[in-house]
Amino acid sequence: MTLQVAPPAVGTRQDVQAGEGQPGWLVVAQQECRDLWTSGRGLILLFLFSVLLSAVTYLTSTNQALNFLEQRESVNLVLQFAVAVGVLATLVVGADGISGERERGTLETLLVTPVARRSIIVGKLIAALTLWFATFGVSIPYLWVLGREVGILGPALVLGFGVGTLLAVGLGSIGLLISAACNSNKTSIAASIFLLLILFAPTQLPSGLPQGWFFEVLLRANPVASGLAYISALLVEGHAWTQDLSYLITPLLTAIIAGSALIFAGPQLVRLTRGVNAG
Amino acid sequence: MRKLLVIGVLVGVFACLSAPAVAAPLRVQVVAEPARVETVLGGRFVITTEVRNTGAAATGDILAHLNVASIEGTVYVDPEDWSPSRSQQLSLKPGESRKLSWELQAVNSGHFAAYVVIVPFGSTVAGNEELLISPLVDVAVASRSTLTAQGALPIVLSVPLLLGLAAAGVYFGARRRGSKR
Repeated sequence: MTLQVAPPAVGTRQDVQAGEGQPGWLVVAQQECRDLWTSGRGLILLFLFSVLLSAVTYLTSTNQALNFLEQRESVNLVLQFAVAVGVLATLVVGADGISGERERGTLETLLVTPVARRSIIVGKLIAALTLWFATFGVSIPYLWVLGREVGILGPALVLGFGVGTLLAVGLGSIGLLISAACNSNKTSIAASIFLLLILFAPTQLPSGLPQGWFFEVLLRANPVASGLAYISALLVEGHAWTQDLSYLITPLLTAIIAGSALIFAGPQLVRLTRGVNAG
Repeated sequence: MRKLLVIGVLVGVFACLSAPAVAAPLRVQVVAEPARVETVLGGRFVITTEVRNTGAAATGDILAHLNVASIEGTVYVDPEDWSPSRSQQLSLKPGESRKLSWELQAVNSGHFAAYVVIVPFGSTVAGNEELLISPLVDVAVASRSTLTAQGALPIVLSVPLLLGLAAAGVYFGARRRGSKR
């Protein structure tokens, strides 16, 4: 990332009314978003995601054997896809945030700008979150097609946005923390994807499996599985909003703990170390 | 003679032990209303049953269990999909009655029977007890096209097309700007 900001006044300690009186985190977020969206990377991801959702929606709409409840399940499926892809994208962009700059040799340039390190971290997290918001935006027309006549479009949108944002903030922060701890971008991204696979694995277990207390503990300790379980309980099983609120404790705690760790430990984590490609 | 007497007594005791216990029959009356429900696919409706103990003794624990069956065509019915809570446990004193509500959602279209069965409940159930069944509620569910391929096609085609064009435009625009520098 090449940050374009006004040179600091002599003796000015960082932060920053960089640029045109904007806070530093906003300048970083804008520049990161520009890099992400004007390079075409973000749009290509959204295009591939929309192809996937189109295939699922078309197959669902041509299947006349689906009963009313299975149609609700297809809304749930599309919403889970949206959350999974959005969170994955946020995590991967977060995982590239610091280690990528280190590896490309641009972190030094970034650190000499008059932007506080905490603002750099926050700006990068916000830019990563735009991928989640865009992914969710793309899924809205599909959710409308599938859910408008089964009466769950409104709840699906509110639930998806709320739970997905919690997960994206939590896992995006974890991605940035991993990135700050790694010198190699490959290591950072591989570790993040591996973490996401571990978190998503329980959601793929057949529902008919015997589920004892240990499974319940694992489910509730896993922010992704418990967040998706909350969505399913409301959309498919028709539970009340308040009935399974305890499922949201882990996603909420993950967002708070990882977000706080990032903001408070950020200035110590964003430091120059030797990247693997750096001479 | 004495041996024969002992054998006779033993045979009598074993015969008594091995014979199935005959429980007192439940004296319960079940009434369901409404008698007929007409709705559309996805419609929610409520069936009410009134269970009355018409006997002179308490019923003990009994279970009222809702069931749904297709009575026309070959529609597969999973009653769990129709109502997530299909069992209610109760106990009635002589002359007492209880109203039970059953919330249902029509998840298949067609012609169905909904009915409630009264089953004895608990460890004292010996088997062979008679079940009591409510009159059936005739449920007619009209179909409606909730999702069709034609309805989905505009979204299915237009969203990837627009995003693909935007991605290609941005990508090639960025490359052109890069080559000019």
